[in-house]
Amino acid sequence: MRKNSLSRQLIAGVLLAELFCAASFSCVALLHEMHGRRRAFDVMLRGRTDSLMGAVQDAEDPDDNVTVDPTELALPKQDVYEVLSPSGRVLGHSPASSSELLMALASSGKPGYFNFEVKEEHYRALRFNGLRIIDREENGGIRRPVTVLYAAPTHDLWHEAVEAVRFYVIAGVLLLAVTGLVLVWFLRRRLSPLQELAAIAGRVSASSWEFVPPDAVLRTTELAPIALSIEELLKGLRQSFERQRQLTGDAAHELKTSIAVLKSSLQLLSLNPRTAEQYEAGLEGLLTDTERMEDLATRMLELARLEEARVERSESSDLPSMLQDVADRLRPLSDLKHVALQVTVEDAHKVAMPADDVEVLCSNLIMNALQHSLPQGRIFATVQTHNEVTELRVKDEGEGIPEAALPHVFDRFYRADRSRSRNSGGAGLGLSICKAIVERSHGSIQIQSAVGQGTEVIVTLPAE
Amino acid sequence: MRVLIVEDEVRLANNIAEALRERCGFAVDCAENGADGAALTEYQHYDLLLLDLMLPGLDGLGIVHQVRKRKDMTPILILTARDERAQVVELLNAGADDYLTKPFDLGELLARAKALIRRGKGVSHPVLTVGRISLNTVEQTVRCRGQLIDLSPTEYRLFEYLIFRPRAIVSARELLEHLYDYNWEHHSNVIEAHISNLRKKLRAVGEETSITTMRGRGYRLEAPEKQL
Repeated sequence: MRKNSLSRQLIAGVLLAELFCAASFSCVALLHEMHGRRRAFDVMLRGRTDSLMGAVQDAEDPDDNVTVDPTELALPKQDVYEVLSPSGRVLGHSPASSSELLMALASSGKPGYFNFEVKEEHYRALRFNGLRIIDREENGGIRRPVTVLYAAPTHDLWHEAVEAVRFYVIAGVLLLAVTGLVLVWFLRRRLSPLQELAAIAGRVSASSWEFVPPDAVLRTTELAPIALSIEELLKGLRQSFERQRQLTGDAAHELKTSIAVLKSSLQLLSLNPRTAEQYEAGLEGLLTDTERMEDLATRMLELARLEEARVERSESSDLPSMLQDVADRLRPLSDLKHVALQVTVEDAHKVAMPADDVEVLCSNLIMNALQHSLPQGRIFATVQTHNEVTELRVKDEGEGIPEAALPHVFDRFYRADRSRSRNSGGAGLGLSICKAIVERSHGSIQIQSAVGQGTEVIVTLPAE
Repeated sequence: MRVLIVEDEVRLANNIAEALRERCGFAVDCAENGADGAALTEYQHYDLLLLDLMLPGLDGLGIVHQVRKRKDMTPILILTARDERAQVVELLNAGADDYLTKPFDLGELLARAKALIRRGKGVSHPVLTVGRISLNTVEQTVRCRGQLIDLSPTEYRLFEYLIFRPRAIVSARELLEHLYDYNWEHHSNVIEAHISNLRKKLRAVGEETSITTMRGRGYRLEAPEKQL
């Protein structure tokens, strides 16, 4: 792909604009000069015509004719003129002119200025109907109307105009060159934050997240938002990368530890010859370990599934009755631990959540409460709908969670007290799964806890 | 020999402890979290510390720092489920002696544990010899001029502890601390009884006055000058 350079485009644009200005200015100057000179030329033609008029004299012949005697006039050699009587007789003409030229001059019938061309030579001419009064002293003189035709070549006119405008053109070109250079320097300097930003952004990679925009970039109104959003984006990406890495590491740790338990149990059994009872006890332990590993794998896959699949908006479930079912199913377990499990439903509607999710959510929350309950404790599970929002609360009277651990309880593999939770069988994924379930149904989950008093999980879901 | 295992995975800790007791005849204590583990190391009873890296409370690295800070030379073997190079380097630099990644081979763990204890006591070979008596730590056997001496597990452990420190006076209390884990009900006359049995068995193969009692101070394994 061909790349466009912003600075090059800017420089080219400004230089083109300048060039256009200079050219227009030169043209206007030239036109103006031409116009002025043409007017001066016309005045000059008129002047020379008048001079010629002055040269019309009485011919001293019986018919009282007039004649032209230009010998006393200093007229340029290349000029052409002709003086005609009203009858069209030629009274006189420029001596050096060719007959062709004189014919061309006489071709115009109307008085006034006109142009003509002979042998690629341009001429401007004036036809003037004048009145020559001869012998003014006697009886007011004799009126002799004459027609004067006077033409002069115009080729010098153009040259002179160009000569006059040349100064401006040269000055313009010089100015253009100087401003162009200044512009290049200035733009390079002003655009350097852009290049710095590009260079810094280019250095960012998955292994090096360093991105500190220089002050020059942050001080630029147009660049600061870009730099800041890149910075924000990178921060988010980095955190997400690190979370992912942490998660993979944690998952590997859990799996390897589980395998280590299995392997060491097996190797311990084969270390020495054992009695049948010892083998039986060993196998039982191995089975428990395997079940725990199975549970871990199931939960990890569950979490992966939840995070990948989108939820269908149309699915809805009867949360109150399902909560009741789950509670009934877990009742043997709560009886075993001597924990009272109490379910309360207050005017609850259906919720927009797949039935599988509701079941996992309820059983995870109640199991969690059970695991942390002390004997003779109580668990309250309540559902109620209020203002289009359904709220599920599961409260236990267990040992509670330390305040420092509360922000992390939804993190995967997090256990407030790892050794204890391990013994009770949790892999630290239960609440993460709940959170994933709730969030993909556009709900929210919160936890409140006080050490020694108990924990309460509050799930709010949009009602169906 | 007495070993401390700090591991939050109780099943794993129990397996290792069982193997160490059965195979090596060591006394083993277990701690489930870093803080308890660190508190136990302060007694300095242990001939080896087996630490999990990721522990609730204080992690394995933290315990290594604490132990080495008070100039405790007890060998440390780290168990880790993470084998990232940087972490291993950090651990070894902090003063750990060796590491094993989970899942490990139990036999390898036992061999490494024994090697570390040996090294910690300045011995490189698994067979230790004093005079005409030789003790094989791999087979857990004691021979005098090639003739096998039949010892009970406790007698073997006692003799093993003494042979690592020939000619040094070892108090009954030290023997108790290093040979029994804290789960055991122990009395000092247990040691006296075992020592006397050991003497009898050694005398039976013609080895005289190998273990002397220093009244009020402890016991000493006699060794010929040239051995040292």
